[in-house]
Amino acid sequence: MSQAESSATTGTVTSAPKAVEIRSLTKVFPLPWKKGKGVLAVDDVDLDVGVGDVYGLIGPNGSGKSTIMKALLGLVNPTSGTTRIFGQDSTEVTSRRDVGYLPENPYFYKHLTGAETVRFYAQLCGLKRRDQSERTEELLELVGLKDAGSRRLAGYSKGMLQRIGLAQALVQRPRLLVLDEPTAGVDPVGSRRIRDLIFNLKKQGISIFLCSHLLEQVQQVCDRVGIIHRGRIVREGAIEDLISIEDQSEVLLRNASPELLESIKALVAAESATELVRIGNPKTTLEHLFLKATGSGRDVEESAEDLSESSDPS
Amino acid sequence: MSNSSAAVSQPEPSMDLKKGLPLVLSKVLAIARNTFTQLVRMKVFYFLFAFSLILLVAGFFFADTQFEQKLKFFKDISYGFMLLFTTIFAIVGSALLIPRDIEDRTLYTILCKPVTRFEYLLGKYLGVIALVGLSLLFMDLIFSGALYVQEQRLLGPVLEAQAAVPAESAAGVQYATEADSIRKLGLNANTQKGVLSIFLTGAVLAAMAMLLSTFATSTMFTVTVGLCIFIVGYFQSLAREYFLSGSEGTWQKLLSVLVALIFPDFKAFHLSDAAASGELIANGLLLQLVGLALVYVVIYNLVAYLVFADKEV
Repeated sequence: MSQAESSATTGTVTSAPKAVEIRSLTKVFPLPWKKGKGVLAVDDVDLDVGVGDVYGLIGPNGSGKSTIMKALLGLVNPTSGTTRIFGQDSTEVTSRRDVGYLPENPYFYKHLTGAETVRFYAQLCGLKRRDQSERTEELLELVGLKDAGSRRLAGYSKGMLQRIGLAQALVQRPRLLVLDEPTAGVDPVGSRRIRDLIFNLKKQGISIFLCSHLLEQVQQVCDRVGIIHRGRIVREGAIEDLISIEDQSEVLLRNASPELLESIKALVAAESATELVRIGNPKTTLEHLFLKATGSGRDVEESAEDLSESSDPS
Repeated sequence: MSNSSAAVSQPEPSMDLKKGLPLVLSKVLAIARNTFTQLVRMKVFYFLFAFSLILLVAGFFFADTQFEQKLKFFKDISYGFMLLFTTIFAIVGSALLIPRDIEDRTLYTILCKPVTRFEYLLGKYLGVIALVGLSLLFMDLIFSGALYVQEQRLLGPVLEAQAAVPAESAAGVQYATEADSIRKLGLNANTQKGVLSIFLTGAVLAAMAMLLSTFATSTMFTVTVGLCIFIVGYFQSLAREYFLSGSEGTWQKLLSVLVALIFPDFKAFHLSDAAASGELIANGLLLQLVGLALVYVVIYNLVAYLVFADKEV
């Protein structure tokens, strides 16, 4: 993943800035009234998210995922270590021009409508007045809330709030998206929609740093993952490298006759060092089954195509 | 899934964004406008019905008494309720905002945008001030209208009687004096100066409550402590006079000086008593109060920023 390049003029080796660069991050939350004592939430974490990568941070509750994200966004102060976004110290406010953040289970101002919410965040990012309405329309369309844009958030479902959260995160066209449990509490259709959106954003070259409990989704969308436990990264790497079983091989056939399968079995049996582990039909996922049964799969595929067109930055 | 980031074309930020002062103003005003809308949509302006009703009832009181008493009572009641509502809006409005933003995690989504904590606090403060100012303006309009009606009702018979007698006669002079007294107690610039002093009290209270809410753990704490500070501040001049003029010990004197420094002297802001009595309020005094309020507001906001700047949310 190194993007090192030689500088001809200076003769030194410089690295192109990564989307996220965390070095030796440690966070201790002090305990009130107990001087010198505290809770170690993050313990000497190093983490990189390459430009255009989707990085998934997974770990049990209380393992330090959200604290790392908050430290990256300047919401908590690191006890030690550094956090950078595209090479810029992330404690500097200007670094946040490049970041969109969706917190876990976000609650926005209930008195605002969906459109007002997106416009509010557009104003915070300094969008000019003529761009605010245009961008608001575009994002409501993108997250599938165009029809609900004039309704107050007090009447939104959890999934709708999550999607309006995504819309506000994308409002200034950030180069990095930080998503904390983006599909928490969302039904399978909404979850699939968000997943497709992440794919679509990745296609546009947006770097994504997410944490989730839904390991299957992380596996589907992420290029790299880090597993965090008790504040420490215990495994880290490209997802294909981490999950592949090196001493096993997979051959997937379509319309194979029983005779062919028997021949394959016989061939394997002839090899003394090889063992046939399993032969049978591959299983679909419960998610696919649900989407097919509820007739939502087609809608999701279609909307994903629509989203792809409407979110094209060009 | 590809692991190569080199193959991905990196999008350039293509948004045409504001820069410099227009950007700062845009952010502060967006937060202020949102805060104002948030408070207004809590249906706070229903209190105006209560205020109108109070003035209507107060207008009927002391119907048979002298005009001085009648007008003074009416103005006292009006100013009293204006101060009460302003105090409630300033303290409760400010106390509600930051803890709720933290609790609802709305603060995360705001502070992870390119918004400084100072811009956030200033926006919140200006939103509360807009609410305090607008509600006071509405109350002032109702109060001024009602006072004008009262004044005209009292003035009418006096002017009629005055017109019926020669101006130089003893009765004519008496009627003229009476008409002047009614005008002095009626609607005039002094009345508005009294309202302005209430606004200044509200501005200082809102800044103080904002400071409290930056480290408070609950709205209840901010409201309770805010009200206590208001009461202590209101009576601190009495305490100061008592301790400093008497032969009390050094500790008492030190304490009273400390109280005077920390708690604003809200009694000093209370020009509405003078306005209710028809006393002339000098412009210089009003300017001094504006300056004093500004000093308190700036100091409270700066300290609030210092507390909030490193707060982990």
